[in-house]
Amino acid sequence: MIEILIGFIGASLWLYILLGGIDYGAGILELLPAGALREPRKQVINQAMGPVWEANHMWLILIVVILFMGFPGIFTTLMISLHLPMLALLLGIVIRGAAFTFRHYDAIQAPTSQRVYTLLFGASSLWTAFWLGIIAASLNRGTIDLETRSAWEAYILPWCGLYPVAVGLFIICIFVFLAAVYLIGETEDAALRQHFTRHAMLLNWCVVFSGGGVFLASLAERQSLASAFVRNPATLGVMVLASSLFAALWRFIRAGRIRLTRAVASGQVTLILLGWVLLYAPNAVLTRQKPLSFYDTASPPATLWQLVLALVIGSLFIFPSLIYLFRVFKMKP
Amino acid sequence: MMAARATMAFSLGFHIIFAAIGMTMPFFMSAAHYFFLRRGNAADLELTKLWMKGVAIFFAVGAVSGTVLSFELGLLWPRFMLHAGPIIGMPFSWEGTAFFLEAVAIGLFLYGWKRMHPWVHWATGLVVGISGFVSGIFVVAANGWMNAPSGFDWVNGAAQNVDPVKAMFNPAWAHQTLHMQLAALQSVGFAVGGIHAFLYLRGKAHDFHLHALKIAMTFGAAAALLQPLAGHIAGQHVARLQPAKLAAMEGHFETSTHAPLYIGGIPDVEMRQMKWGIPLPGMLSFIAHDDFNAEVTGLDRFPEKDWPPVLVCHIAFQIMVGIGFAMAFIGLLYFWFLRRGVFPPWFLGILVLFIPLGAVAVEAGWVVTEVGRQPWIMCGLMRTRDAVTPVPGMVYHFYLFLVLYLGLAAATVWLFARQVRAAQTRISLKFHD
Repeated sequence: MIEILIGFIGASLWLYILLGGIDYGAGILELLPAGALREPRKQVINQAMGPVWEANHMWLILIVVILFMGFPGIFTTLMISLHLPMLALLLGIVIRGAAFTFRHYDAIQAPTSQRVYTLLFGASSLWTAFWLGIIAASLNRGTIDLETRSAWEAYILPWCGLYPVAVGLFIICIFVFLAAVYLIGETEDAALRQHFTRHAMLLNWCVVFSGGGVFLASLAERQSLASAFVRNPATLGVMVLASSLFAALWRFIRAGRIRLTRAVASGQVTLILLGWVLLYAPNAVLTRQKPLSFYDTASPPATLWQLVLALVIGSLFIFPSLIYLFRVFKMKP
Repeated sequence: MMAARATMAFSLGFHIIFAAIGMTMPFFMSAAHYFFLRRGNAADLELTKLWMKGVAIFFAVGAVSGTVLSFELGLLWPRFMLHAGPIIGMPFSWEGTAFFLEAVAIGLFLYGWKRMHPWVHWATGLVVGISGFVSGIFVVAANGWMNAPSGFDWVNGAAQNVDPVKAMFNPAWAHQTLHMQLAALQSVGFAVGGIHAFLYLRGKAHDFHLHALKIAMTFGAAAALLQPLAGHIAGQHVARLQPAKLAAMEGHFETSTHAPLYIGGIPDVEMRQMKWGIPLPGMLSFIAHDDFNAEVTGLDRFPEKDWPPVLVCHIAFQIMVGIGFAMAFIGLLYFWFLRRGVFPPWFLGILVLFIPLGAVAVEAGWVVTEVGRQPWIMCGLMRTRDAVTPVPGMVYHFYLFLVLYLGLAAATVWLFARQVRAAQTRISLKFHD
């Protein structure tokens, strides 16, 4: 039963990173210069995100709900030790959602106010993605301290450092990369396609470099993470596979094969996520004292049953309706 | 501790308005959309799209502020969630499901014009309303559990023998959800009706706004007429489940039979008596136990450290009840004028006054529920101060959210006013009579 729940968390995380990641990346892309393409780019992003962003955002809420109902020990530990990054994340989520909606529904589409919304939307997308990375990095950094009496060690050190920052930047690059790849297929305009293609290729390099940065930062912090990563055949294999896909990706981008490009790019991101998860499964959080695994922190069986039941029945409604949503909007009319 | 309380109160107070709009407004929209599909009337289409924009704005802000709340349960009350999560997570998991469907449906409805069969499109709008309404029921059921904890045994400060189904259908879930869902319908119905009454009085497109007013007010007035009954049921349950809360609401200090109900008045906690209130002898006994001579437990049966803040509860309760009865009366008048077919201007003027009052009553009602449960977070089992986060400097957390939410509220109102003004100009041109 716990495995089913881990599966749901994994699937939600995966979908949030891929689908939500595109939405974040699109916001960040809007911060980058585009000259005359600025306005058409905004229109494409509005059209691509508008119908789906709220559904994409739900994966995060699902993770939170599964954690607090099924694994309250993990939930409360994170909410105490990572209080500040969580707060930063929420701030970003609120401003981002409001700015995106306001931009679309302002009755008077004046250039100045539109610029303010776009700036807020872009900046909060960047900010939120960064803090997502900080939080993700803090889970397996082993610096969460459950017993210390010092406020600094309890609430700041768990997430403050080179490695979390490196992961934050890595996540940003991944999101913008995903968005650029995705948006190529969302427009018929040749100049705009060119614009997204150029960014996709550029961001591809950024993903590689910032990924290297994560390793270096981990070494600099003298974590065992980097060496564990190289020594574990599974994670190493996943990494090699992800890297080798780059060749395929470049060919497909150049050839204008939209679906294949999307598949390869999301495949790469999936592999990165998989490598990260394999590294320290089945533990969910590493602390100074002991690792917190899903198995040690699970709620009583009666609760887990109800949770699985809700998720399974919920899926019967959610997945068909999601598929319908994407079919309606993502098929060319 | 005060900062954590204030943050939670502020976040909830902010979210509840958006949630109430998000779960009722889609029904008004679907009704207008139905008329359009049936009669092909351009005015109905315009109205549907107008309300759709309102739904879109308030839903988005409600969704992000709801996300904040799901995190805040842990950020502010981790020690509560550690115990409560497994017991009361169930309604949240269902709420998550319903809310997910709502998010999908709203995407389909907002952007689905001309992409779907018209009636399928109409149905997605209705699904927005239904799933929003259902998710509201789940959340309020979870709140009911804090008032009437059930579905577990509390052994040495920890929960055992957890039964999440029993926890979800706790003794307070039914009356609280009934009371809240009606409140959402009536407050939003009156607010929307009031806005159209205002536009009717100011503008040229009288038929248009009258039609809109009728749709919204029919929901609102019907709910307002049912509400006194729902409130009465709620009161009886509170008398049984949380006698201290009822005593605080009513400023009832001493246990007595033939207990009086006070209209107005200020409870004097020092002197333990009501000042300046108008007593209705025996009415409190009747309301609480259906018997004019029944004994009603007063605050004297509880140690003073377990008292909720009496003054706040009593005033908030009076505000809620006062507005509630006024709305029921207006609801009655509404149906009277609807039958006669003419709404006099003074009546429309009164409706304009009621635009914010429903929201005030909803807020006051939540003050009664939440403040009235204090000092407990899990009624009778866990004190709020034992649940609060150990993180220091929470007061800055509060300031941050204060600024964020005040800014967001101001921005939303500003945006909304711009929408209304633009709509007024457009509608006056298109549908003047």
